[in-house]
Amino acid sequence: MGGPGKSRGPGRMGGWIGAWTLLVIVFLYLPVACGVLASLSQSRYFGFPITQWSTRWWQRTVDSIEIGILIQTSVLIALMVTAVSVVLAFMGALAFARYDWRGRKIFQRIVLLPIFFPQAVLGLALLLWFNTLGLPLSWKTAVFAHLVWIVPIATLIISIQVYSFDAALEEAALDLGATRWQVLREVTLPVLGPGIFSGALFAFLLSWGNFPLSLYTTGADSTVPEYLYAKMVAGYTPGVPTLGALTTGGAAVILVVGYVSWIFMRRAQGR
Amino acid sequence: MAEPILRLSGLTKHFGGFTAVKQIDLDIEEGEFFTIVGPSGSGKSTLVRMLAGLEEPSGGEILLRGERINETPANRRPTCMVFQSLALFPHRTVGQNIEFPLKMRGVARKARRARAMGLLRLLQLPESYYGKSVTQCSGGERQRIALARALAFDPEILFFDEPLSAIDYKLRKTLEKELKDIHKETGKTFMYITHSLEEAMVMSDRIGVMRDGKLVQIGTPEEIYTRPRDKFVSEFMGEVNLLKVKRNGAGLHCPSLDATFTGPASKGFDSGYLVIRPEYLRFLKPGESAENQVEGVLYNEYALGSRIQYQVRVGEQVFLVEKLREQRYHGRLDDRVTIGWEARDSMLAPE
Repeated sequence: MGGPGKSRGPGRMGGWIGAWTLLVIVFLYLPVACGVLASLSQSRYFGFPITQWSTRWWQRTVDSIEIGILIQTSVLIALMVTAVSVVLAFMGALAFARYDWRGRKIFQRIVLLPIFFPQAVLGLALLLWFNTLGLPLSWKTAVFAHLVWIVPIATLIISIQVYSFDAALEEAALDLGATRWQVLREVTLPVLGPGIFSGALFAFLLSWGNFPLSLYTTGADSTVPEYLYAKMVAGYTPGVPTLGALTTGGAAVILVVGYVSWIFMRRAQGR
Repeated sequence: MAEPILRLSGLTKHFGGFTAVKQIDLDIEEGEFFTIVGPSGSGKSTLVRMLAGLEEPSGGEILLRGERINETPANRRPTCMVFQSLALFPHRTVGQNIEFPLKMRGVARKARRARAMGLLRLLQLPESYYGKSVTQCSGGERQRIALARALAFDPEILFFDEPLSAIDYKLRKTLEKELKDIHKETGKTFMYITHSLEEAMVMSDRIGVMRDGKLVQIGTPEEIYTRPRDKFVSEFMGEVNLLKVKRNGAGLHCPSLDATFTGPASKGFDSGYLVIRPEYLRFLKPGESAENQVEGVLYNEYALGSRIQYQVRVGEQVFLVEKLREQRYHGRLDDRVTIGWEARDSMLAPE
């Protein structure tokens, strides 16, 4: 009974929004938390509740030479993919969103096609192709495979920034006496910077976490997701969630470090 | 007369099969404020982009102090443009924007800063704005920053591509006058592009009216206002009364009113339009007369601030009459009225 108070309406609404937000966060992070908990189990097998706690598997994982090599391979692939895809995607994005040329419409469609291709099929197709060309499979072929899928995504991300870029900025810089090179350094790159940065971040993280393409194309080399999958299929130990938690934490650290260094770069720029 | 700072001869620009600028011949004098006026699509933007070096001419010549600069790229021309979008660098502060051309030239930081401060003062912006982000500045402030940046370049000619078009009316009026003051202060040659003849009138020493890629009339604001070359120019000036007429002996016959008027003396005029500005028409009281007069119905009235505008209908023909508020006409709507004008207050414009 009693009319709804005017002040209570938004308050109750706020409560609901808060509860919903909390629920979403729990939903998103509970599995991660479970993974971390599972890694802290003493027992060899996966099961809740955990009867005996231990950091044994963390110790083992950190000490393991094998895992060190895995991480090295994954990081190496991800860095190569990032470097190459940023360069290609930057130029592609300018062609995609900036300049008008014959065939641009077709280019816009074709360049995005690999994203929609199922990765497992794409991996197989690439494997067949590498075999046909007689290329020995290794982390290098995996870099190429990742690029096929990641360059279009990075292009799309950078294009969004290019679309909001006023072409008159470059003309103005030129008109104010800047050389082509100065225009690129002083205007184009800094203004497109946020887009290039998020493109790079995405490229790194997508490569870092990629499983289906790596599975087919790394040959004798192995990446972290491949190792995790192999261990899950045969020979589970709490080392699996440990490595999972470790790589997730690593990715989070990369994000934060990337973001902070970006802020500092912006501050220092133009001084 | 001294050598013009800028001479265009036969300047032409094609885009595929479309000709945006056709055979423009024009001399711009040193220190002049020259404005090109035209409706959208008249080619005025293309023209100024060619002058700034952002577009290459298809034909003709651009001579800067007698030297051909057709192929000189924008960054090697001693000219500078204020863009329609202003093109302020969003990732830079106000100070860095103004200093940009100096930085490109390798001027030392201290000297750059001193120049930027001087320009902030000239444009009546507070010096504290030096470190402010341009994205936090208002529309009028951004205009001033863009102008300061262009002045920092110290160009021989400053081009303006409709920079005031996105600004609200009141602020625009202020900025127009400010721009004219800056022109006087700096003594530089200004070339301004706009679609508003009103804006051009306020600021310019000379005006060029552009239509379909051609300059149809060049003259002082006074000349353009009082002696428009044709119907297009006279209509472009704002609201005018146009009567289609044909020469008939000493008079001008207007078929739509089936009346003959006396017009200003003009040799060689055969048919075209009789142009009468609304402020030259007056209401005639009984017993008063004018050289030309017509009778109609007072259809409606509109308050235009300091002036009142009346719509008088004579058959199908609509006349606009304007009076200062203090001299307003006291009449009831739909009453019959007589309006008149003197021959010397009208103009003739060929088709």
